[in-house]
Amino acid sequence: MSEMANIDPEGIDGVRMTWNVWPRTKVEASKCVIPLAASFSPIRSHPDIPSLPYAPLRCKTCAAALNAFSRVDFTAKIWICPFCYQRNHFPPHYAAISETNLPCELYPQYTTVQYTLPHNPNSSNLDPQLSPVFVFVLDTCMIEEELGFVKSALKQAIGLLPDNAMVGFVSFGTQAHVHELGFSELSKVYVFRGNKEISKEQVLEQLGLSSSGRRAAGGYQKGAPNAFPNSGVTRFLLPASECEYTLNSLLDELQPDQWPVQPRTRASRCTGVALSVAAGLVGACLPGTGARIIALVGGPCTEGPGTIVSKDLSEPVRSHKDLDKDAAPYFKKAVKFYDNFAKQLVSQGHVLDLFASALDQVGVAEMKVAVEKTGGLVVLSESFGHSVFKDSFKRVFEDGEQSLGLCFNGTLEIICSKDVKIQGIIGPCTSLEKKGPNVADTVVGEGNTTAWKMCGLDKSTCLTAFFDLSSSERSNTPGTINPQLYLQFLTSYQNPEGKSMLRVTTITRQWVDSAVSSEELVQGFDQETAAVVMARLTSLKMEMEEGFDATRWLDRSLIRLCTKFGDYRKDDPSSFTLNPSFSLFPQFMFNLRRSQFVQVFNNSPDETAYFRMLLNRENITNAAVMIQPSLISYSFNSLPQPALLDVASIAADRILLLDSYFSVVIFHGMTIAQWRNMGYQNQPEHQAFAQLLRAPHDEAQLIIRDRFPVPRLVVCDQHGSQARFLLAKLNPSATYNNANDMAAGSDVIFTDDVSLQVFIEHLQRLAVQS
Amino acid sequence: MAAPVPPGAPRQRPPPQSNYNPNFQQNPNALFDNFQNLNINRPVSMPNSTPRPTPFAQTPPFPSTTPQPPMSRPGPPPPGVVPRSMGTQQPTLPPNVAQRPPAPPAGQSFPFGGRPPPGSFPSSMGSGGPVGVPPSGVPLAGALPSSGSLAGPFAPPPSARPFASSSTLSSGMNVPPSSAQDGLTSNGPLSYAASGAAPGGPRFPPPGSAMQTQTPPVGHPSMVASVRSPPQSPSMRFPLGSAGISSSMVPPMQQAMPFSVPPQSAPPFSSAPPISAAPPQGVPPPQGSPFGPQTWQSRQVGPSHPIPGSVQPPRMFGMPPPLPTQSMTTIPPAMGQTGAPVAASSKIDPQQIPRPIPSSMVVMYDTREGNQSNTPPPATSDYIVRDTGNCSPRYMRCTISQIPCTNDLLATSGMQLALLVQPLALPHPSEEAIQVVDFGESGPVRCSRCKAYINPFMRFIDQGRRFICNLCGFTDETPRDYHCNLGPDGRRRDADERPELCRGTVEFIATKEYMVRDPMPAVYFFLIDVSMNAIQTGATAAACGAISQVIADLPEGPRTMVGIATFDCTIHFYNLKRALQQPLMLIVPDIEDVYTPLESDVIVPLSECRQHLEMLLESIPSMFLNNRTAESAFGAAVKASFLAMKSTGGKLLVFQSVLPSVGIGALSAREAEGRSNISAGEKESHKLLQPADKTLKAMAMEFAEYQVCVDVFLTTQTYVDIASISVIPRITGGQVYYYYPFSALPDPAKLYNDLRWNITRPQGFEAVMRVRCSQGIQVQDYYGNFCKRIPTDIDLPAIDCNKAIMVTLKHDDKLQDGSECAFQCALLYTTVYGQRRIRVTTLSLPCTSNLSNLYRSADLDTQFTCFMKQAANEIPSTPLVNVREQMMNLCVNALVSYRKFCATVSSSGQLILPEALKLLPLYTLALIKSAGLRNDGRIDDRSFWITYVSSVSIPLAVPFVYPRMVAIHDLDSKVEGGSPIPPFLPLSSEHVSDEGIYLLENGEDALIYIGSSVDSNILRQLLGINSVEEIPTQFVLQQFDNPLSKKLNEVINEIRSQRCSYLRLKLCKKGDQSGMLFFSYLVEDKIPTGGQSYVEFLINIHRQIQVKMS
Repeated sequence: MSEMANIDPEGIDGVRMTWNVWPRTKVEASKCVIPLAASFSPIRSHPDIPSLPYAPLRCKTCAAALNAFSRVDFTAKIWICPFCYQRNHFPPHYAAISETNLPCELYPQYTTVQYTLPHNPNSSNLDPQLSPVFVFVLDTCMIEEELGFVKSALKQAIGLLPDNAMVGFVSFGTQAHVHELGFSELSKVYVFRGNKEISKEQVLEQLGLSSSGRRAAGGYQKGAPNAFPNSGVTRFLLPASECEYTLNSLLDELQPDQWPVQPRTRASRCTGVALSVAAGLVGACLPGTGARIIALVGGPCTEGPGTIVSKDLSEPVRSHKDLDKDAAPYFKKAVKFYDNFAKQLVSQGHVLDLFASALDQVGVAEMKVAVEKTGGLVVLSESFGHSVFKDSFKRVFEDGEQSLGLCFNGTLEIICSKDVKIQGIIGPCTSLEKKGPNVADTVVGEGNTTAWKMCGLDKSTCLTAFFDLSSSERSNTPGTINPQLYLQFLTSYQNPEGKSMLRVTTITRQWVDSAVSSEELVQGFDQETAAVVMARLTSLKMEMEEGFDATRWLDRSLIRLCTKFGDYRKDDPSSFTLNPSFSLFPQFMFNLRRSQFVQVFNNSPDETAYFRMLLNRENITNAAVMIQPSLISYSFNSLPQPALLDVASIAADRILLLDSYFSVVIFHGMTIAQWRNMGYQNQPEHQAFAQLLRAPHDEAQLIIRDRFPVPRLVVCDQHGSQARFLLAKLNPSATYNNANDMAAGSDVIFTDDVSLQVFIEHLQRLAVQS
Repeated sequence: MAAPVPPGAPRQRPPPQSNYNPNFQQNPNALFDNFQNLNINRPVSMPNSTPRPTPFAQTPPFPSTTPQPPMSRPGPPPPGVVPRSMGTQQPTLPPNVAQRPPAPPAGQSFPFGGRPPPGSFPSSMGSGGPVGVPPSGVPLAGALPSSGSLAGPFAPPPSARPFASSSTLSSGMNVPPSSAQDGLTSNGPLSYAASGAAPGGPRFPPPGSAMQTQTPPVGHPSMVASVRSPPQSPSMRFPLGSAGISSSMVPPMQQAMPFSVPPQSAPPFSSAPPISAAPPQGVPPPQGSPFGPQTWQSRQVGPSHPIPGSVQPPRMFGMPPPLPTQSMTTIPPAMGQTGAPVAASSKIDPQQIPRPIPSSMVVMYDTREGNQSNTPPPATSDYIVRDTGNCSPRYMRCTISQIPCTNDLLATSGMQLALLVQPLALPHPSEEAIQVVDFGESGPVRCSRCKAYINPFMRFIDQGRRFICNLCGFTDETPRDYHCNLGPDGRRRDADERPELCRGTVEFIATKEYMVRDPMPAVYFFLIDVSMNAIQTGATAAACGAISQVIADLPEGPRTMVGIATFDCTIHFYNLKRALQQPLMLIVPDIEDVYTPLESDVIVPLSECRQHLEMLLESIPSMFLNNRTAESAFGAAVKASFLAMKSTGGKLLVFQSVLPSVGIGALSAREAEGRSNISAGEKESHKLLQPADKTLKAMAMEFAEYQVCVDVFLTTQTYVDIASISVIPRITGGQVYYYYPFSALPDPAKLYNDLRWNITRPQGFEAVMRVRCSQGIQVQDYYGNFCKRIPTDIDLPAIDCNKAIMVTLKHDDKLQDGSECAFQCALLYTTVYGQRRIRVTTLSLPCTSNLSNLYRSADLDTQFTCFMKQAANEIPSTPLVNVREQMMNLCVNALVSYRKFCATVSSSGQLILPEALKLLPLYTLALIKSAGLRNDGRIDDRSFWITYVSSVSIPLAVPFVYPRMVAIHDLDSKVEGGSPIPPFLPLSSEHVSDEGIYLLENGEDALIYIGSSVDSNILRQLLGINSVEEIPTQFVLQQFDNPLSKKLNEVINEIRSQRCSYLRLKLCKKGDQSGMLFFSYLVEDKIPTGGQSYVEFLINIHRQIQVKMS
């Protein structure tokens, strides 16, 4: 843990790997059990990253950018690419280069460099200052109250948008309504029927935006801003500064869907069509325009493409059990629809953000693919009035330090040393199917490529790349080659201001012949990253592989790992010890097995999808918290201190603060709760108590403030009903089975789950089996 | 006229006056001269009246035969003729040769309007002759005098008359009457008359010189008529009113005779004389009867049938019927005399051929008299109905007022048997309102077998405990609470207190059984084209303006709902809910697969959205001011609107300006394609009149199922493919309004008025209609604007007072002579105020096995309207040439049989027309030359014509092809009583002078033709311009402060109210397109491109008849 305690384990590069030392061969690698993987945050901000106002030099064969690991021949004005060993001449403007006069990217400490590109190389010479586009897609099948919440959230959001941001508005219920904001005479909406799939061409055609111009609606065009020449789309998309008033009054008049809902049926809701239409609308923007479709959904889609459940209320929304048994008649069709939808968005380079608020499911599981492939944001809450939604939504549009730094049109390229193969990436991106010698045969996540599209990305976006090694036996040429391997991540994107940026991160790791020295290998193990990678991999497999038994697979992996790296005598469990580099890993696995990622049956498919999306896009630290929450204990006699994630940490005179990422639980021990109920904190002589009460709240606010989506804050008391949020995460060391030995003021968990102790015992026994 | 007679039956008086024999009296001379071959005889309506008196009718034949001989004798040559006719035809219809003698008067006659003549029957004879003559051109004049003199001096004529009269009398007195009665109950009289007429015919000829002869004949006929009438009176229905009078009538008759003579002297003045005559007559005898006859005569004289109707108004009833027969008679004579073979055809005097003679008189008409059905006045005349058992002819009338007993008889007659039903027709303001009967929860009493509704003709038996259905003959138990004892006359004692037992038309309150759901609210949905064209031509603004004004006229109350949408290549709905600060515009962009954007708030109660609606209507034109979208998604927009209305049903009013080019039901400019491929275009041009595909039809069927009625207002300047578009209104019970070429200056006013009338006129929603017939007859098919799912019923999402439905009938068994055949139309509908009602209209007509009765009771206007509707039905599937031929054949067939079996004069050189149908050739000619059947002309115009005709009512059908033309440059110089509308002119360019200004209207359009050398003073007064050169292309009628202008406005307003239409006014002048347009309506003219003149056409008809005869 000491190692982990490092404040910034990711350093300037934002890269963390399961193994920081790589075995030489594929066979060796597979013996390591935990795959070779790198988790990296492509555009994480870091104070030390230099920003360069020019484009990088690229290797003429492999296109790698000039970097700190390149060897430079100053006299010949040549640099050698560390990936392909190509010798490249410096161009004339590098003529002044010398050992004492290095460009920034050659400084050894600047392994990560940010370039501001004068022109977006992808999208030509058009106006680089494209305003970002926000199209709000609002569900209107809600009760007035909910609609009121979401409307006020929307108004607030629109007020926060930069003036030049283009705004569009689509509302939907039984049908999808595209509001023509640029029509001043009266409110005008285009209505699309909800039960019919509609192609992008049709949308454009019907909105009068098709390039063929049959419906050239010049008549309607009002002083179109110049940003979108030749495009009628400005009828629908207006700068926030111009349409704020219109939108506000429009929202004021907006009513819940007028189509009647029969008794005992669900409202008719055409989420799929509404999204298609919105996608079509932004599709009419110039290529390269960054656009977000922000869907605010209050219930399941019951109409048209993307339907997830019938209107009949007697039929519940599919559960994991239904999915397992293939008893969800709409699921596959809906997923297919969203898959195609995702493809469309990706090809346009636009993002889908999903804000789902409902007590029941809304179909996040089906829409996941579209959100994830476009790099969209997702927030799931119970109500639009809930702070989880309200605060998160506000965060999206806020400026300043809290800003998410929403960027668009990201493209990631990975360039790696010759023997390294890329299997794929888990995370919010889409494979661009760019083949190359570094593409592995096996695929994990978005694979078959060395380049990925990230339509939307932000400062916290994190991807996990999986690597394989070339199967060719290279031991034939030992030592001749560089003992180092190199990886370079090139991420080009548009920043919120519309500027084209390129982030280049180059890292190097050491090859090690594990057959010779497994010690080095062990030292290079990052157990936290490994746990997260395993969690991500497990989630992926659970989704992709039919009948995948996650618990079993995790157990076996753990046992194999322990067998390989543990110190023990065969068949003597008591002799088993683990290197500190691995010491925490079994506990991570224990918690992972019990987590929402593996034990999906406690959650709805929507929740599972939501958790997994966040697991995949958060950085290692946060993801680790999801797997193994942190617990802090507050009491009178000591400073706040981390507590064991164990039921034994509960005490009547303590306050516990649990951070499980999605929720933050403040748990008052019985005594504390009683005191508080009696109002002691309000009495001047009990200032200390008031402080004690306040301390965890302050801490919780700190956590909440930095996190997106905003976690749910649960304040509860021991034995209260909400206490389950805490108990579910604790190691059940004390259950009703062994309630006898529990300490006073402690608690028991009513479960048959095994406790960590039992788990470890079994692990030891199995690991040492011959 | 009226003044004198007042006390007596108004009818009587009118007749005399109205009779302008003049017309009738064709100037014999002229005729002769001109037609050598052709004698156009128009049966005078007179006969009918006579005939009706059953007894006579029948008898007449016999007597007639007999008499004829005598007649013939007196008459010189004719005799021969007569006999033949007699022989061939038989007695039934004497020869009425339509003497169109009236023709001469024609010119003048018009003024008289044949009608006046009718009125003035008595005089007609005498007077007619004279009058007619003078008017006619020089020759005429000569003739007239002569005739007049002849008449007076001429022993022959007088003698003839007396003769006739005597004979009639005798016959009536003697056997004939009786026999007549036997044979013809009601009809009898007619035949009788006919016979009388026949003789008359011959006589005329005899008179020696054609001219003279003719005149006399006139006299004769009249005489005859009068004579007959007396006898008839007893049985006559016309006299009807005067059933009681009948007896009295007899005497009058005789007197009349004398009178008639005097009138003759009077004749010079068409009207005046008669009057004078009338009074005397009236006074002495029970006028009623005498007049009746007289009237007839007059009518006869006036040849113009139509006229009689109109003129006679007062006596209308009596008048019309008589006309036919008598005219017959009169006519024949003329013809016969003519004798000369066809050769001289070219010499026919256009002045003397049959023409309608309008009357401004209002006729009183009882639907039944003396338990007999009463022959209705012409549909185009002005009349007031008293429902005495049969329904008003406004609601339902038959092409023949007597029903042939067998199919063979019908086939022989060459006429059609059909009903024209206009269940919600507008009544005359003076008529009694239809009574509403509430049977409470049990609902109306109905036959348990055929489900016919209780009506005056159901016979109660067994002390009222049971009743026999007059439609299927089944005997039902009387519901207990409906029981009532019978009186000594076999009627229920309460029959007169219960409208359903004494009225031909009643409305029942429908019970729950008649509803599949609550009665629908009144829903009005406006759909407006806002594509570039519509905006730029001002059509959108016009539509919005019209709607905005019309909102105030929508029915009050919470059940009135409105909605609005606009469209170009997308559809824009508006949420008008009050809670919103401003309307919310909802665009449906998917025009291939449309939907409604809101479940509820698109259509909201008017009271809740008035402000929003007004605001919106005001802003729509400016909102789309810069719209550059030229495309129009009409089909999709209509479909989407329908979806919004689906749950309630209602009226969808669409304002469309261009060819629907995108979305569901998109159309192509087929017309242009047709033009580019001329060879195919000629042969296949009718295909352009068929809907382009089935999409719109399928949509329309769906609309109808959900009770959505679509009206389309086409404010366009281009081809819009009405053939395809009109499918929707036609199937949903709607209507097409066509403004071409749309112009923002004059058309908005019409658009507003059309829309207003559309919304405010009496109408019903979610209607179902069925016509039931007595055993022996069954409904063959329905034609009109409706949706038909099962053979027996038609579904009408909406029905209004202007919509007529043609119901063709066929025999499935023999009917019994002397019995009555009943027709019952039941219309179940929801009023605009949400009441579910059943309007039951029952008509019971006598059956006859006598062919001449059929001719006598033929209803020209109705038959002709059937022709039109058939033509309209054929045009889209048959090349125009064939349709025209078919129409010719229809006309010829009816005339051939008459000529063959009924005309007493058989000279092959004569054209003999049944009095009742004497205008059929003229109308047929007009039809053939109409926009619908002409070769030239735009496809859309023809499609519109077809659409218009498919639902048009009789009173509007006739003028639509045979417009009304009046001179308006001298409006102030004329002094008329009654109607402000001056007398009509024949549709011939001879009557259009360069110094005059003429107004010509067909119920849709009104053309004002300005002669090239009109007095600038008049121009200034009327139009506010100084010279012909200043004539604006776009015209808005203004009222200037001078009498002439005021008069003109008065005239036009009167026409508007008559036609329930705000007329598109257009100025025309010689030498340009507008002038051509004007002259294209002058159907009597020869058209350079091949259209025959009226005279040529008559010759042609005559030739064809001859061919068929041989």
